[in-house]
Amino acid sequence: MPETQPRAGEPAERDIPAIEVRNLSKSFGQLSVLNGISLSVREGEVVSVIGPSGSGKSTLARCICRLEKIDGGDVFLYGQKVNDGDHSNKDLSRLVGMIFQQFNLFPHLSVLGNLTLSPVKILGVPRSQAEEQAVALLRRVGLEEKRNAWPNELSGGQRQRVAIARALAMNPRIMLFDEPTSALDPELVGEVLSVIAGLAESGMTMMIITHEMLFARDVSDRVLFMADGTIVEQGTPDQIFSHPEVPRTRQFLQRTLPHYGGDVPTDERKENERHGP
Amino acid sequence: MGLDFTAITPYVHMLLAGAVTTIQASLLAVTFGSLFGVVVGALRVMPVRWVRSLAATYIYVIRGTPLLIQLFLIYFGLPSLGLNLPAFTAGIIGLSINSSGYVGEIVRGGIEAVPKGQWEASQVLGLSYMRTLRFIILPQAIRNMLPAIGNEFVTLIKESSLLSTLAITELTMVGQQVRSVTYASFETFIVVGVIYLVMTSATSAALQYVEKRWKVA
Repeated sequence: MPETQPRAGEPAERDIPAIEVRNLSKSFGQLSVLNGISLSVREGEVVSVIGPSGSGKSTLARCICRLEKIDGGDVFLYGQKVNDGDHSNKDLSRLVGMIFQQFNLFPHLSVLGNLTLSPVKILGVPRSQAEEQAVALLRRVGLEEKRNAWPNELSGGQRQRVAIARALAMNPRIMLFDEPTSALDPELVGEVLSVIAGLAESGMTMMIITHEMLFARDVSDRVLFMADGTIVEQGTPDQIFSHPEVPRTRQFLQRTLPHYGGDVPTDERKENERHGP
Repeated sequence: MGLDFTAITPYVHMLLAGAVTTIQASLLAVTFGSLFGVVVGALRVMPVRWVRSLAATYIYVIRGTPLLIQLFLIYFGLPSLGLNLPAFTAGIIGLSINSSGYVGEIVRGGIEAVPKGQWEASQVLGLSYMRTLRFIILPQAIRNMLPAIGNEFVTLIKESSLLSTLAITELTMVGQQVRSVTYASFETFIVVGVIYLVMTSATSAALQYVEKRWKVA
């Protein structure tokens, strides 16, 4: 289990969680989306968050990278409290990168322009060096030959791979993925997932919000199942996918995985057949 | 009766000189009006409420009052505060302020039409609000705005005819002078109208060209 509390005195870097969320709550108007979430992700860990739509998993990721203002609780990244307004966008971008469902590439800039804008304008990296790094990152996501293309000339899968390279160009210590393949045609999902899997293998600290259950099972160190704004169950992929303890988790998995073999009572199974996966 | 354009041929060079003044005034007003308008439009979407309200009030007042009154206030009104401006300067200031109100509203619409995801991606890539506006939002917004901006430029050329009320010798003023010596009212103002039409058509064509060139994404 990851350390949840930094030790007293001078804790070693590895003892400080990369992400630590304490009692996080968030509502949109009357609607309470996150109800006192606490979690901790250690450096190098790959955590997938699964759960039904509206369970608050995207909001959780957006609160961690400060795209949403939180209503209660605290978010720490590498021991730094990032929800008190002391961090500029630049400070935060060195800690955490975010991949969006809709890619959000800048349509008025070329692929290279997308990758070099922040390093040049924000970090002050010389342009030639930023371009060199950008090309290396594009090679890593298999799109080196698209460096001069425009975003609208790329397929969805290619756009998302460029978006991943763009996030990596800021060299963040943590990467968040908010349903990175949900907007893609099915045949384009694989190329994006293999890039993400490669990142996981390289030791990047990652939190992946996803509906791709098999992928979550294969790449994650830990899986969180969220519903109704709380973490219902968490554990190793094997624990969650093969031996879930909470009925709610079993029910969700049975709806999501067509050939799920978990032990679900017959009446629930009938219920699920009616709604379909 | 018939039209006799020969009566005004000796004065055509005067009309053309007036047209040059109209072009000068329009170009200056378009430039200052657009620059100021972009600022007003950007303030109009700032995440600070009182700044937004201030910009909204400015746009509201400018668009809700006649340009003629705005020109009179600057040229005839300001001297009572001890500020005497030359007619041409007063005219350019008036036209620019008037245009900035309209451009400001166009800029606001253009900025709001850029998807929210562009702001979000910029934020997580470390860009501050102002840099996001400058490097990401405005370049896309301006592309959205071009057709409306084109209309505004054309409108401004036509409305510069109101500068004649400040005795500035732009095209309309010269037209009145030519009419008063030739008494060929119909012919004079037909020619004046045609010259305006040529100027507005050229502006439209130029902007359509720019619009096409910018349609990359």
